Amino acid sequence: MEEKTSRRNFIRRSSAAAAGLFILPEIIPASAMGMNGRKAPSDRIVMGAIGTGSQGTSNMRDFLNLKESVQFVAVCDVDTNHLERAKRTVDNANKNSDCRIYGDFREFLEKEKLDAVSIALPDHWHGIIYTEAIKKKLHVYGEKPICRTIEDGQIIVEAVKKNNIIWQTGSWQRSLTNFRRGAELVINGRAGKITYIEVGLPDGGRGIGTPPVMEIPPELNWEMWLGPAPGVPYRGVCHWDWRWILDYSGGQLTDWAGHHVDIANWGVGLEHTGPVEISGKGVYPQEGLYNVPVEYDILCRYANGIEMRIANASRLEHGMGTTWYGDRGWIHTNRGNILNASDPEILKEVIGEEEIHLYKSENHWQDFIDSVRSGTQAIAPIEPAYRAISVALLGEIAMTTGQTIKWDPVNETIINNEKASRLLKRPYRKPWSLPTI
Amino acid sequence: MESTNYLKIKEMKKQYLIYLLITVLLAIVSSCKQTHQYKALIITGQNEHNWQVSSEAIKQILEETDMFSPVIMVAPAKGEDISGFNPDFNNYNLVVLDYKGNALSETVSTDLDDYVNNGGGLIYYCSKSDMVFSESDSVDITDRSDFEVNVIADNHPVLNELPKKWIQPEDVLEKTLKYDEDYEVLATGVIGSSYASFRDTSYVPTIEPVLLAKNSGKGRVLIIMFGAPDEKENNALHSVGFIITLQRGAEWVASGDVTQEVPYDFPTAAGATLRPDFKGINYSEALEKLGSYDITRSTKYYTFLQNEIRNAAGDENKLLKLEKDMVRILKGTQTTNEAKKLILRELSWMGSDYCIPVIESLESNPELSDNVEFALTRLQK
Repeated sequence: MEEKTSRRNFIRRSSAAAAGLFILPEIIPASAMGMNGRKAPSDRIVMGAIGTGSQGTSNMRDFLNLKESVQFVAVCDVDTNHLERAKRTVDNANKNSDCRIYGDFREFLEKEKLDAVSIALPDHWHGIIYTEAIKKKLHVYGEKPICRTIEDGQIIVEAVKKNNIIWQTGSWQRSLTNFRRGAELVINGRAGKITYIEVGLPDGGRGIGTPPVMEIPPELNWEMWLGPAPGVPYRGVCHWDWRWILDYSGGQLTDWAGHHVDIANWGVGLEHTGPVEISGKGVYPQEGLYNVPVEYDILCRYANGIEMRIANASRLEHGMGTTWYGDRGWIHTNRGNILNASDPEILKEVIGEEEIHLYKSENHWQDFIDSVRSGTQAIAPIEPAYRAISVALLGEIAMTTGQTIKWDPVNETIINNEKASRLLKRPYRKPWSLPTI
Repeated sequence: MESTNYLKIKEMKKQYLIYLLITVLLAIVSSCKQTHQYKALIITGQNEHNWQVSSEAIKQILEETDMFSPVIMVAPAKGEDISGFNPDFNNYNLVVLDYKGNALSETVSTDLDDYVNNGGGLIYYCSKSDMVFSESDSVDITDRSDFEVNVIADNHPVLNELPKKWIQPEDVLEKTLKYDEDYEVLATGVIGSSYASFRDTSYVPTIEPVLLAKNSGKGRVLIIMFGAPDEKENNALHSVGFIITLQRGAEWVASGDVTQEVPYDFPTAAGATLRPDFKGINYSEALEKLGSYDITRSTKYYTFLQNEIRNAAGDENKLLKLEKDMVRILKGTQTTNEAKKLILRELSWMGSDYCIPVIESLESNPELSDNVEFALTRLQK
């Protein structure tokens, strides 16, 4: 009985949503107005998930851990194994069997009436699916890197601004204490004036060879998985290993720039601009399908004179993570709750009331939900995510062309280099195209 | 008549001039050949691997640099009297010891020390220094497998500018290698890559030093613990990582510096690369072979082309020359579709109007239609 009631409540809520809530996303749900205690189902943020592989499932579990704040009602994936697993997760959480499943995001977006959507897809799909979800005025928790090309990113940023939705990037390091504390020390000058930053990202891994063409497994819609990427026969290189192929990703560089470059920018207030000059050198494999750089060393210069080096960790003194160098010392932060400084005293410094206090979140997924409720920006908005990945994407262009790229971070164009400018976008395979907004 | 004689004389003078020119040219060419700056001695004759194979390979690898004139000297076979074996190291800039077996005489040992201290270069190949002159105890080695070479001393001349991680194929690691304290470990071999341990944190990799170096007096010593054949030539020996390490290491011990550029086909963490004939390739060979590219084969000729494009660094004339060569491959009747796909991808960003008619002519090939459209869209046609 209880199940039925909650379902009915849910449907009623969905109708209400369809009737107008989503046109005015800034409407504040009652629960954010200080009403404590058990939330009625109508106070829950109703969510769906597109992409339910390892990262998508991980995000969904993090949302479900928020218990009564969130209710998932639908999932979408091109792999029915993923889909069934995701449905089980949702149904277990909802104690029913009502989670709806979709193999096509277009149908999902057309039929589902949601507050928000969690999206975790291979990078080559981000441009289309993020934009379409935003155009439906859904609040989006979207995985980094937010785009495969600069052009994709520009459209997504524009769509978020135009549709006035809450966006949270999956750059969850921002919600960890050591990263925020490091960035906060730096932005308040505790390492002095910052002149140089090193960002260490993972080294490339072992190759994947060239497996033979094989039968497409019945659970996988390979054509839909490829989508706008060039059509290729199925060789079993799909989930996880797409990261090593340029048609879908830029490798460890673009995967991780969304984390450590983002933190670097956060600490020096470069979240809303980009470098003006980028050069770089990559090391590329010569065997098998793996064609992203396994090693990379990129140097960017910003208009304010700051230089940022982004390289695979083996090349850097501090390895993985972000190291800001100022005229009073350096501060390094990395996963594993690592926060070090040239002088340990720097780390004991107290940030005064009048100084800059960076946005504080202790749970990245909760922060998104809170922002959806309050209608205020989350800790990881779209533009910083775009600015972080564009550093890596411009580095990719510098490595491909062998040239120093001059970038106009205001107009977001490459200066005086028509050939390099062509690399700002990747043509989409028909019938797909980047949505207009 | 007079004028005929005059013409004859003139003709003879012309011929004489041509002969003279040829002689001078020959002299220049032969002197160029003699520009091998360094004389190298490879000592072999006993070893756990097939030393006939390895010593000949080392000779060829050194010759490939055009810097070394190597000779092989074979020590007496196992059990034979070795007292008469007494090479004069001072005739050489580089000595490579591909030797593990009966102890050489004390004189040889002292001579070798003096040679290094006086500025000579010495490479121990697949054996460590303190075991060369004595019967080896049994050493514990891993089974043959690929391992990752991790660069430790990336500022060392031998390793500077090389990738920081790369795969050495089908080779062995000597476990718990003992070496003198004055050696610096330049690189380690790791079975179970950092990538494997990244995915599975409980994984404990095997890590052993594989490249060590020291300065000794005025000279230098390098130990290379990889690249050994078994009974015959193998991938460990053909590994570009090994070949280049030996070539750079040889120059470093002989001169204290490395002037060789990092080649296009140096391996990466994603996989090993091989030179079955120990030779690098040149531009025309790369272009020729690129046309027959098959997706299951190495992409090294494509990588070579990409490097040429990067090295052009936006120079329009250089790019146009490359574009014309790429168009020629696209037109080739024997060129595979897979090769065409790679070329179309490059042309899509670095091509000019020149390549467009040829790309358009490929539109009718159904296997290439996506790639043609991709290229033409980027070329904005």
